Amino acid sequence: MHKPDTAPPRLVMRGIVKRFPGTLANDGAELIVRPGETHCLLGENGAGKSTLMKILAGSYRPDEGEILLDGEPVELTGPQAGLAHGIAVIYQELDLVPDLTVAQNLLLGHAPSRGPFVRRARRAALAREAVDRVGGDFDVDTPVRDLPIAAQQLTAIAKALTADARIIVMDEPSATLGETDLRRVFEVIRSLTAQGRSVIYISHRLEEVLEIGDRATVLRDGRTVAVRDLAGTTADRLVDDMIGRATALTGTTDRPRPEGPPLLDIAAVRSPGLVDVSGIQVRAGEIVGLAGLGGAGRTTLLKALFGDSRAAVSVTLDGAPVRLRSPAAAVRAGLALVPESRKEQGLMPGLSVSRNAAVAALSAPPWLAPRGRGRRLSAPVLDGLGVRCSSPDQPVGKLSGGNQQKVVLAKWITKGSLKVLLLDEPTRGLDVGAKADLYRQVRALADQGVAVLLASSELGELTANADRIWVLHEGRNVACFDPRTTDENDIAHTVVTGTVPAGATTARATPPGAPS
Amino acid sequence: MSTPTTAADQTAATGPRSPGKDSARRRGTELIVRFNLVLVFLALCAVASVLAPEFLTTRNMSNLLQQSALTGIVAVGMTLVILTAGIDLSVGSVAAFGGMTVALLIDKDLNFLLAIAVSVAAGAVFGAVMGGLSAYLSLPAFMTTLAGLTAIRGLTYLLTDGEPAGGDVPHAFQLLGGGFVGYVPIVGLIFVAVAAGAGLLLRTTTFGEYIYAVGSNKEAARLSGLPVRAVVTAVFAISGALAALAGVLLTSRLTIGQPTAFNGLELDAIAAVVLGGTNLFGGRGGVMGTFVAVLLLSVLRNLCNLMGLGSFFQMVVTGLILVVALVLNMLIEKRGSRA
Repeated sequence: MHKPDTAPPRLVMRGIVKRFPGTLANDGAELIVRPGETHCLLGENGAGKSTLMKILAGSYRPDEGEILLDGEPVELTGPQAGLAHGIAVIYQELDLVPDLTVAQNLLLGHAPSRGPFVRRARRAALAREAVDRVGGDFDVDTPVRDLPIAAQQLTAIAKALTADARIIVMDEPSATLGETDLRRVFEVIRSLTAQGRSVIYISHRLEEVLEIGDRATVLRDGRTVAVRDLAGTTADRLVDDMIGRATALTGTTDRPRPEGPPLLDIAAVRSPGLVDVSGIQVRAGEIVGLAGLGGAGRTTLLKALFGDSRAAVSVTLDGAPVRLRSPAAAVRAGLALVPESRKEQGLMPGLSVSRNAAVAALSAPPWLAPRGRGRRLSAPVLDGLGVRCSSPDQPVGKLSGGNQQKVVLAKWITKGSLKVLLLDEPTRGLDVGAKADLYRQVRALADQGVAVLLASSELGELTANADRIWVLHEGRNVACFDPRTTDENDIAHTVVTGTVPAGATTARATPPGAPS
Repeated sequence: MSTPTTAADQTAATGPRSPGKDSARRRGTELIVRFNLVLVFLALCAVASVLAPEFLTTRNMSNLLQQSALTGIVAVGMTLVILTAGIDLSVGSVAAFGGMTVALLIDKDLNFLLAIAVSVAAGAVFGAVMGGLSAYLSLPAFMTTLAGLTAIRGLTYLLTDGEPAGGDVPHAFQLLGGGFVGYVPIVGLIFVAVAAGAGLLLRTTTFGEYIYAVGSNKEAARLSGLPVRAVVTAVFAISGALAALAGVLLTSRLTIGQPTAFNGLELDAIAAVVLGGTNLFGGRGGVMGTFVAVLLLSVLRNLCNLMGLGSFFQMVVTGLILVVALVLNMLIEKRGSRA
């Protein structure tokens, strides 16, 4: 691979700032990519990788910062502008039209034609050429839906190349590819860079990154924290960059370790290909953290526990086996879920704060006066949580993210008789103050005897708040750590690699409920 | 008669707690949205009484109420369905079926009260089946009720091979659809009672609150442990029952069951619901808006009649008024959300 250091960089993104309501997604991010280079973009979930790539694609406009292509400043006003400048982004959800053929997809919008008629043979030939270029051997007349994932990925790459892209962004291609298919994609990447094109490769898997990448930029909290030459670096080094030493919520929990029999005992949760978890126990008053990369199965596990999937679940609650076939049954049994997405899954954004907070509490008789009763029931809870709103009649969609999350929590506290609280990324998009506030409330609930299962991508938050941390890796719970005695970086290594260091409780060797 | 009802609704909406500034402004725009319709309605009445002196006669008024009552009853059921973000296209066919079965059952010497109960129950069952299919199999309600529209209309024709039914109905039964208390038509009273009942259901029961929750965000409602599918099935059952009731009342007025009746009723009902400020995507709106909108639309039709404008012209005017009202509502709401 040639790296002409004298030429201007292919791409310079400098001082990129992008604000969303309640969050700062990019805070002075910088990315410099050379011609003919495979540049990896690393960072934990929420570090700002996708925002940065959406800015590059033209989907988002940055609030501040400049973008230079081959030394010239460019203004990317929309996805079309991005394409016109030779920037092609291959998203994880491939943006192909599944019912059209490969040839139709490749030449969508610019098919060769004679008058109003498409020249089908010519189109097929052009498509053939494009597919050959990326080393595909599938029929271009097959509908994309019928192709295996790897072939779809190659089609997406071929499509990116028909636009004569200078920069090709690949967003976690390995998430959907097997080992051999990944080899094919790697070969294509190498031939692309050999032609002088630049590839930006996003992945969580460090061994891939070390294999395919020339250099890597690491993002954390929206900022570029390191640029590494991958030839002279190690996975450990990169993990340290990604995690960072100073996290917002440091220190470990100082609560006394809860004792007693488990309130929630997860014997097994299995769903083929998605999740295979066994032997996680949560005592009353205990906060058990679930760590793992995106797609490690945290959300799937929580949904299964909440009766919201077809997974085979074998769980005992308070010593008695329970079968929870629906979220409604789970709620009746005393479970509560704070879902991953507040707006889509947690709240009714058009309804008022008090109506949202009371909606789960109305199932008890008398089934009358829901609004007055709801206001009465939820008022002390909303006060206790410190929800800031102009009035309980304000639509919940108008609140800040932290206050919205508190309303989700208020919904379950208002309902009462809570036994198990499941939290899925509860602090996503919250600022530091709101995060601390939320965890204070969760700890208060645990102190009242609620068993808490807390999934988060923010390891620092888990070590600061959890009594024990289970690491999920590729759908399996691989190890359990005690954050009081374990260094956060050791846990981080297990999160990224899935290997279990000596001293950690493993999933199946010892009874995981026993204190390590 | 709509104005006092709406005013009562507003005091209920403001509630005992004094709202903050932001909320007060929102309430203000909400009131304008609602008043906007009432104002348009009153303005239209004023125009009508100037243009056509016979508009304000008690005879015309009671006529007007009688004409709007049947569509109104159906529109109330439709409001509940649309509040859950559903839609019921089958109401016209269910109403015709209800009207035919009640005529046939009375013809077979069944007690007319029992006959009404059977017809209304049949409507509820139709609604529950269509709504249940949509809720439990995640089929779009648009399609299940479109299928219902065709199938139930066909079933209605099959009952008598397309012929009208009945003719010899008891006097008491005729009173229901054609009778008056003083100058007020009984169907009008039934319409008011149904609207008030639905309004109370929405405001004062847990079920009503669930309707709003399901319509506002089905996924969040499900993950809050609400019986989403049962709620959806129930509102379709209510819509079916009310449609059948409208059919029964028409048969009572005409003394025969007409299998061809109520063609296109679903569109009139949906138009009234949307004109009344209920959001087609669910979660926002209420019965009182629908009530005013139904009266507004029939005043419009009445005015065209009194002025001797043909029915073709009426259709054009009704369509234009709908568009104007929707644009106005949208503009006011946009300004409200920006404030």
